[in-house]
Amino acid sequence: MKKLSFLFLIFISFTSCKKFLDVNTTPNNPTAVPPNTILPTTTIGMGFANSNDLDRATSALAQHIAGVGNQTAAYDVYNLDGNFDNQWNGEIYGINLSDLQILIDQYSETSPAYSGIAKLEMAYLFSIATDIWGEVPYSQAAQGLKFTNPRFDKQEDIYQGNSVLGITSLFDLVKSGLADLAKTSNVFVPGSDDIVYKGDRTKWARMGNTLLLKFAIQISNKNPALATSTIASVITGNNYINSNALDFEVPFAAPVGNQNALYTFNNLNRTGDQMLSTRLLNLEKSLNDTVRLAKFFTKPNGVFTSFDNGATGAAPALATRSKYNTYLTGTSGEAPIRLLTYAQVKFILAESALILGTTGVANTLYQEGITASMQKVGMTAAEISNYFTTNPTVVTLSGTTEQQRAQIITQKYISWIGNGIEAYNDYRRTGYPPLTLVNNAQGDNPNVIPTRLPYTITELSSNPNAPNPRPKTDVKLWFAK
Amino acid sequence: MRKLVMLIMAITLSVSHLWAQERTMTGKVTDDKGAPIPGASVIVKGTNSGTTTNADGVFSISVPAKATTLVVSSINMQDVEIVIGNQSVLNVTLQTSAKNLQEVVITALGISRDKRSLGYASQNIKGEELANKGEVNIVNALQGKVAGVNITNASGGAGSSTNINIRGISSFTGSNQPLFVIDGIPISNDVDRTNSGPNGTLGDNQPANRAIDLDINNVESINILKGPAAAALYGSRASAGAIIVTTKKGGSGKGKAEIIVNSNYSIQSAFGLPKVQNIYGQGAGGVFNSTTNNSFGPKFGSTPSIANGLIVSGTPVANYNAFPDNINDFFRDGNTFENNVTINTGDAVRNQTFSLGNVTQNGILYNTNFKRTDLRFGANAPVGEKMKVGGSITYTNTSQKGTIGGNNSGLASLLGLARNIDLTSYRVNGTYKNPNGTNNYLLPGVDNPYFDQYENPLTSNLNRFTGYANVGYDMFKWLNISYRLGGDIYTDRRKQIFAISSGRVPTGNVREEMFFRSEINGDLIIRATKNHLFLDGLSLTGLVGQNINQRKFQDLAVQGDALAIPGFYNASNGSVFTVGSGESTTLRRLVGYYGQASFNYNNYLFLELTGRSDQSSTLPKDKNTYFYPSANISFVFTDALKIKSDIFSYGKVRANYAKVGRDADPYLLNNLYVSEAFGNNVASFTFPFGTSAGFGASSRIAPIVLSPEFKTSYEAGVNLQFFKNRVALDVTYYSEDSKSQIINVAVPPSTGFSTFTTNIGELTNKGLEITASATVIRGKNFTWDLNANFTRQRNLVVSIAPGVDNTFIPGSRFTGSVASFKTGYPYGVIIGNVIPRSPDGQRIINPASGLYQPTVAGGILADPNPDYQFGVTNIINYKAFNLGFTFDFTKGGQVLSFTAATYKARGALDITAVDREQPHILPGVILDAASGKYYPNNIQISGQTNWSNGMGGLQSEFNVFDATVLHLRELTLGYNAPASFTKDLKLAGLHFGIFARNVFYVAPNSPIDPQLNTQGAGNIRGLDLQGVPNARSIGFNIKITI
Repeated sequence: MKKLSFLFLIFISFTSCKKFLDVNTTPNNPTAVPPNTILPTTTIGMGFANSNDLDRATSALAQHIAGVGNQTAAYDVYNLDGNFDNQWNGEIYGINLSDLQILIDQYSETSPAYSGIAKLEMAYLFSIATDIWGEVPYSQAAQGLKFTNPRFDKQEDIYQGNSVLGITSLFDLVKSGLADLAKTSNVFVPGSDDIVYKGDRTKWARMGNTLLLKFAIQISNKNPALATSTIASVITGNNYINSNALDFEVPFAAPVGNQNALYTFNNLNRTGDQMLSTRLLNLEKSLNDTVRLAKFFTKPNGVFTSFDNGATGAAPALATRSKYNTYLTGTSGEAPIRLLTYAQVKFILAESALILGTTGVANTLYQEGITASMQKVGMTAAEISNYFTTNPTVVTLSGTTEQQRAQIITQKYISWIGNGIEAYNDYRRTGYPPLTLVNNAQGDNPNVIPTRLPYTITELSSNPNAPNPRPKTDVKLWFAK
Repeated sequence: MRKLVMLIMAITLSVSHLWAQERTMTGKVTDDKGAPIPGASVIVKGTNSGTTTNADGVFSISVPAKATTLVVSSINMQDVEIVIGNQSVLNVTLQTSAKNLQEVVITALGISRDKRSLGYASQNIKGEELANKGEVNIVNALQGKVAGVNITNASGGAGSSTNINIRGISSFTGSNQPLFVIDGIPISNDVDRTNSGPNGTLGDNQPANRAIDLDINNVESINILKGPAAAALYGSRASAGAIIVTTKKGGSGKGKAEIIVNSNYSIQSAFGLPKVQNIYGQGAGGVFNSTTNNSFGPKFGSTPSIANGLIVSGTPVANYNAFPDNINDFFRDGNTFENNVTINTGDAVRNQTFSLGNVTQNGILYNTNFKRTDLRFGANAPVGEKMKVGGSITYTNTSQKGTIGGNNSGLASLLGLARNIDLTSYRVNGTYKNPNGTNNYLLPGVDNPYFDQYENPLTSNLNRFTGYANVGYDMFKWLNISYRLGGDIYTDRRKQIFAISSGRVPTGNVREEMFFRSEINGDLIIRATKNHLFLDGLSLTGLVGQNINQRKFQDLAVQGDALAIPGFYNASNGSVFTVGSGESTTLRRLVGYYGQASFNYNNYLFLELTGRSDQSSTLPKDKNTYFYPSANISFVFTDALKIKSDIFSYGKVRANYAKVGRDADPYLLNNLYVSEAFGNNVASFTFPFGTSAGFGASSRIAPIVLSPEFKTSYEAGVNLQFFKNRVALDVTYYSEDSKSQIINVAVPPSTGFSTFTTNIGELTNKGLEITASATVIRGKNFTWDLNANFTRQRNLVVSIAPGVDNTFIPGSRFTGSVASFKTGYPYGVIIGNVIPRSPDGQRIINPASGLYQPTVAGGILADPNPDYQFGVTNIINYKAFNLGFTFDFTKGGQVLSFTAATYKARGALDITAVDREQPHILPGVILDAASGKYYPNNIQISGQTNWSNGMGGLQSEFNVFDATVLHLRELTLGYNAPASFTKDLKLAGLHFGIFARNVFYVAPNSPIDPQLNTQGAGNIRGLDLQGVPNARSIGFNIKITI
């Protein structure tokens, strides 16, 4: 009997275990997801990439803000090395570009509405990458094992394309996206998952054309012909962002986890790290523009309290510092992150009319740009008209072409407070507004305002195609002046 | 045949068959000092009939008429054969066999073996060598005592995690922690991390490794199986070695109950804090600033002025003076109170044991503690003549209370605290929080360290059942079948609170988390023996077995963010539940078949062959079976060649080869999508966004094919004993080669992903292990025993993948100091940014700034692998007193210390005050662009710039220190009350002791104790991430045996 029971045990033990072992399907993650769960990721991702560390660094370099603590204080004095891995790895190439590639790969045929949007978003993200770092992985990027060590493409090739190297230009990428959006046969169509335009593809087409304007002006130093023809054709097409309501802005919301990064950083987690730059305050005072400035920055106790970039003295008491105001942060982090704006369009067209001779009157476009910006930040009609009447020299272009250009870019610079990347782009492209070195500058070259951000450590140490040692931050990018 | 059966029985002391009774003999077995030896085996020579002595050393045995000789043996004693003659009372004295001549060790699958038969290295430690030393984590207690084993604890915090590696690291990304086996049942030594999210990633102290749930008082012995050969039968999971724990059984006194009461109390204090300056206070550039944690302000005693910032709005700054102990006083004296009661009854065959233990530890940080209560019951009994059943069950409740360190934590802000901050008064006056309950601190955005301690606790409450049931049946005299079923199940309920206004979570949150782990393990083992196989003196023990193993894990968390009501810590108080809430479940199963053939020729030549075939659920279905063999040989040449002498008492050579396969982690075979999140601790975004989900591709690319990984090992060793076994030497050399590892290999981030799962890479380990022991002095009243161990281990990453030079080790990582494996280097080097050097090796200065040139990424910042390690334990007995002390020494290896870096960059470290106001020149050279030549740096910079920029930066090579350190790890002094005294109290024994742990250390090249590893149990080593310092422990114990 006992022997039998043992045999029984053995029998149990040796029975087939095929089913027993078939337990390797993960209950934790899906292996396939519909496109409407990916689009919110990439769209939020664009807004996040624009408003997190890259924004803090470029806002400090553009002297919108002054850093007073931790990393922002380091950025402020050009200690930039080793800081942007999270942005490169997790806000641009990882998550965003890889997910956009999935939308393009999986839905170009069946649901071009998604691939079209994806191409526009992708073009925007790649433009951020190259505008900040110059030569970056582009044509071989974010495609997984297809290119295990993506090549670093030259900035001129990224913007202009290079058929020998198989590089599609950013312009063509946008155009391909616009073509996809124009297609009508879709299995899946974006709806509420399109958190910016709620599935309205005509608005996406405007966003795409506005991107073309942004790219064109960005390369206008180096390829004025392409810039001119692109802008002229967009003007002719007349299908770009033509009102503040159509601005391409990524929404955020008040609940924890959904707040915009400007709010979580400045109002919650790093309340003491950055504040209004004395240099921006002085500029705005010189332009009598403090009503608008108060929309961007707080005035504790009714006064602006700023800090000079790089100063070593004690920063003002926390409660008295002028910090980002609700236009940028919302009262609880619900302000959108504005990526492409009507004001930007007007300033681009003004500059283009001035230097490239495209259609339009530069002064009119300039004034429309200022008005759009003032309306956007919430100045009343009376405040705006008062500003225009009391500051005729500010709101009217005059002098040489360069002087007029300086006026345009300065106004554009003010309109971009909170979006340091765009202000920093224009500064490097035009030299306006003229900025001076910060106090106690350090970094690669303490005598030059950095003209690029350093490459990131993870990429440098893992990709043999990365330029290592990296170029110093005083080496100008292709598009720069 | 019978001889072999008898041998096994004699060794296991587990069976007592009765022979035809002819007459009864009685006697007493004592040692050379006259003390009775309980549990000694008394066997009629030539039979399998025997008995064991009771607690008083007395035995009674029936012997057949024709029997002539009794064999008396006991562990660690030399066997004695006594001619019976016509006596009826026999008193026997056994001599100590100083060194393990007949040492019985518990090997894989719980099989007892004579150590001489083993063809591989193993080291046995007795429970009593570990218990009663004020150490609650059994892994820490092993520190300095075992060759080939590297143990580093995360901190001196209550219940902190400890890393243990045997023979170094052999798996790139898999677990390299050895398998813990208790009474034949594998148990979890996992680390379950709370909050791997933005609030806990960097510098977070890990929670305990779960071996901490083991009560050291219950441990009879620990056998450490070091190489794959020793652990081959355990299969994949023991490829990093195995820690075989045997718990105490009842039955030490025949038929007589024994009650042991053990108590100890000890006091812990923080030690190893860096030395600080007390000359300069808060500020920058010599100007006072009340909102900085840096001490680059004016000198204490400076005349207040507006220029030096000490006059603010016309009034001088109050209390601008040094608080020299403001960091030390943050720590308190912790204490540990440990009690254990064990009741043993029965004899070797039928016995019961019951124990109840409790440890209560109050940590060196305020409001932290560790408590463990364990209840254990075990029993063994025969059922009829041929069957034996046994089992044990242990219930453990472990609770822990601590704080999460890391970025922006109070602990991080404590490091190098500005010298004039009076931190203690916040605690004394309770002003670390405002009247409305919010954080009150003078530094913006940072928690008052006391606020973190008191208001942001992380608590854990774990209930664990571990147990087994064992049925053995002697089907024939030569064939035994047994089945052992074991389980280890626990649920750990955690609660983490961040109060409203906390620096890291300003809106507050409550996280309720439950970790569940269960492991079920079944082994069917059929053992057969055959003596006189083919020729006289050759015996064979064969074993075949089958193993079923299932492991389940679940992590379930709900997190309520943005708390509405201050101080109410129920998840319902949250208004957002989408951040950090979730579920993760894994299930893995394995079925293994194994066999072992052990040949024994005349008890001096042993050969053993094993093979195991595993089938794992985690591998592709068509390729989920893998086989691996091992062979080992042991040759006791002193016996074989009969060259034993008084000087050369024992000699054995041994060698082995083993291959061990290993499966993958679950769910690696498919590409997955994850709910995405952006950002880190300073700004983050989590999906869903309102009602919109946000999924995306996981950052890992699934493998195209995946097969098991294999490790091949060769080992050779020699045991030598001299002077009647008073001196023993054991030398082992091994070489291991691990190939085709399953790795998530790093790909450049610009691919859009971070890793790719594949079989690739090769890692080798070579090492030398020496243990030596000697009875230096043996007198009637005085003995001095010495045990020493030495480890030298060399590890090399031979290759990773084509085109891949290095990959990060999974775990939390801080860009710029990434623990990695890099081709051509030992495992675990810290890769970061290094300052460029001139051709003659000097650091190059940037002529524009006087600081170093921009660093170059991808350099080797630190190598945590030591050159060698050794430990020495001395035990000196004088009459009833015994004195023990253990030193351990580590030569070489490096640690990157964020702690030291922070002290330095904040201007708090003592050296930063030296010539502070004088110009500094960084050591280095400047390249003259015109001539291409280098000349010495001559650019003056300020003291502050020198320390916070030049040599500052958490990840600077200036914060990498040589980890050479000597520790006096343990010091004990004990006293055994004399029998005359205990008899009066009707006690069987009474022992008093005092002890100290971590008594002192000498680290010549490091400002901190370099033997800290913030990441605790895991593959990341050599990083001190602003952790809690080590703790020194001093206490006393009392042990009463009734």
